[in-house]
Amino acid sequence: MPKDTESAIDVEHLTKRYDEVLAVDDISFTVRMGELFAFVGPNGAGKTTTVEIIDTIRTPTSGTVRLLGMDVTKRKRDILPRIGVLPQGFTSFDRITVTETIQYYSRLFSRRHPDVEGLIELVNLQDKSKEQFQNLSGGLKQRLGIAVALVNDPEVVFLDEPTTGLDPRARREMWKVLLGLKKKGKTVFLTTHYMEEAELLADTVAIISKGQIIAMGSPEELIQANAKYLVLTLKSADEHALVTVRTMGFDPVQDDHRNITVNVAHPSDVRKILNTLTEAEASFLTLDVRKPSLDAVFLELTGEALRQGSAETMPE
Amino acid sequence: MSPGVIRANLVVSLKSFYREKSAVFFTIAFPIILILVFGTIFMNQDNVSFDLHVQDLDQTPSSAQLLKTLELDGRFKIAQVDPALNAARYAKDNKLNLVLVIPEGYQKALVQRLGLIGGVPSTAFRNSNASVTVTYIYDASSSSVSPKMQTLQSALGAVNQGMSGEPPFIRSADTPVLARKFRFIEFFVPGIIAMSVMTSSLSGAVSMNAELRQKGVIRKLSTTPITHGDWVLSNILYQVILAVISAAAILLVSYAVFDVSLRIDAWLPTFIVLEVFAFAGIGMILTRVAKEAESAMAAANAIMYPMMFLSGSFFPLEMMPGFLQKIARILPLYYGNEGLRAAMVLADNMTALRCSAIIGVFAAVVFVVGIMTTKWEEGK
Repeated sequence: MPKDTESAIDVEHLTKRYDEVLAVDDISFTVRMGELFAFVGPNGAGKTTTVEIIDTIRTPTSGTVRLLGMDVTKRKRDILPRIGVLPQGFTSFDRITVTETIQYYSRLFSRRHPDVEGLIELVNLQDKSKEQFQNLSGGLKQRLGIAVALVNDPEVVFLDEPTTGLDPRARREMWKVLLGLKKKGKTVFLTTHYMEEAELLADTVAIISKGQIIAMGSPEELIQANAKYLVLTLKSADEHALVTVRTMGFDPVQDDHRNITVNVAHPSDVRKILNTLTEAEASFLTLDVRKPSLDAVFLELTGEALRQGSAETMPE
Repeated sequence: MSPGVIRANLVVSLKSFYREKSAVFFTIAFPIILILVFGTIFMNQDNVSFDLHVQDLDQTPSSAQLLKTLELDGRFKIAQVDPALNAARYAKDNKLNLVLVIPEGYQKALVQRLGLIGGVPSTAFRNSNASVTVTYIYDASSSSVSPKMQTLQSALGAVNQGMSGEPPFIRSADTPVLARKFRFIEFFVPGIIAMSVMTSSLSGAVSMNAELRQKGVIRKLSTTPITHGDWVLSNILYQVILAVISAAAILLVSYAVFDVSLRIDAWLPTFIVLEVFAFAGIGMILTRVAKEAESAMAAANAIMYPMMFLSGSFFPLEMMPGFLQKIARILPLYYGNEGLRAAMVLADNMTALRCSAIIGVFAAVVFVVGIMTTKWEEGK
């Protein structure tokens, strides 16, 4: 039995070794029923290995993994009908249509009357229902993969990097789908290397680096605990503003759009900077004060940036 | 085993098949094209007729009679060459492999030889030393000139024998081994059926195991309740269905176009099923050795194409050197060809049984090894 009756997944001292490479190094965590759990880390950190052990594709070198109270290495046949899996880079039979693909996977789960239309609607593929898999874009394929992962109405859904390789619009569409799953009460285990995705969607985030979990908690907790500063941005600022802030002892950075970003330890520092800029008659268009993102947390914890690129915004 | 899962796999496989035109072509159209091409080439093999160009320099009734005799023989279609032309140049310019030249003086020599007086032979005037030499102008590089010259020699020999007035000393009598005479096409059709079963099963197994694994479809399937056994069984059934469709198409065309006479009984499906297991097993082993889909398919082709030619699918083994014949006898397709021919052409149940036993044992071994070596779950 699981430690906690509310837990969907219990991982204890999980280790996975490929010959000389230690992919997962003695990690332990719990995922509660109904929560969206994000497993975040850079490529090669051990995310996929971990999720593939939990969803029974791989076997662990040592440690125990219990899924819905069952040992994944011993009760695979009992576990599979109760979980849904979107493997990394989901693919299916090239010449089979969206509808036929969902029907096919439904039959593998012995679902005689699957709600194919409902699943297609859930992932917003109504216009593509008769399209063959080979003709779908990357984002549409991933959305079909999620529909396929849900054909058996699973209690736990594993989504391994569902937004990797998608354009910003497709990613936002995917986020809507993931939020829909959360609303339906599914337990979702999401792996991603997009920190903002985890920050926007997840109840709990575990950050993995080099096979080890280096931080875990809600996004707010992680930011609160690991990035104790505010980010002040002065948009379209002039050179005089940059020099003024620098002379105050801060470490401002100006980008190509003349936006100045400066990290401050306390809200009073923001007031102090604004007053000084006003007195110095420095010019800027607007300003923005934010808490740091999980990207900053990762940077703080590991000393290296998780990835390049800008954050997306939350879907409506 | 889950019948619903197997049925679902069959539906997906068959839909994928008929939506992929190249697969339909290679499974159905390609063997039919082979049948049509080879069948047409060898359709009149038993009634061979050569085009024979003859330059008659004698231009006499006797030389004309010789040409008529050759034509009546039935094995030659005579075309006359202008006596004024250079025969060798004519042959070269017209890319002819043989021109027969009847010399001037043919009739004169014939008259002397037969002792003809007023058209009536007379032994008193007969000159046994009188003879005539016809000339063969031929292209030694042509592969078909040799049988043509042999046939012509045989026809002229018959003319010489007829002129002697004596009955031949050695006669020959034909007693065919087979109860009835079969045409080449009837030996060819079983070979093409065996070959098409091999190609579809072997390439199908490679596709099933290597391509789908490389694409990640197998990984996804391993997170569903389908078992490895269900998957393999449904794919074997699919290969059997394709093989039956292919064999049916080949037989339909063979009956419709060439009016073949073949025995269709339980041996045909038996050999189809055994071949499917044998070659699907080889395909599974190949995908274990060559993990990339492209290299596995290349390895499959490297096995299939030599086997097609070495196993006697297209021509009799007797045409090959001895060491190649020995190699042929260790190839599974050889026993598919021989077994199907024994069953469909010769009605030889004992040979069919022997061949089915050999290919059956081979199929069992490679299929079990294939199952054991093919991974379903990632495991490691």
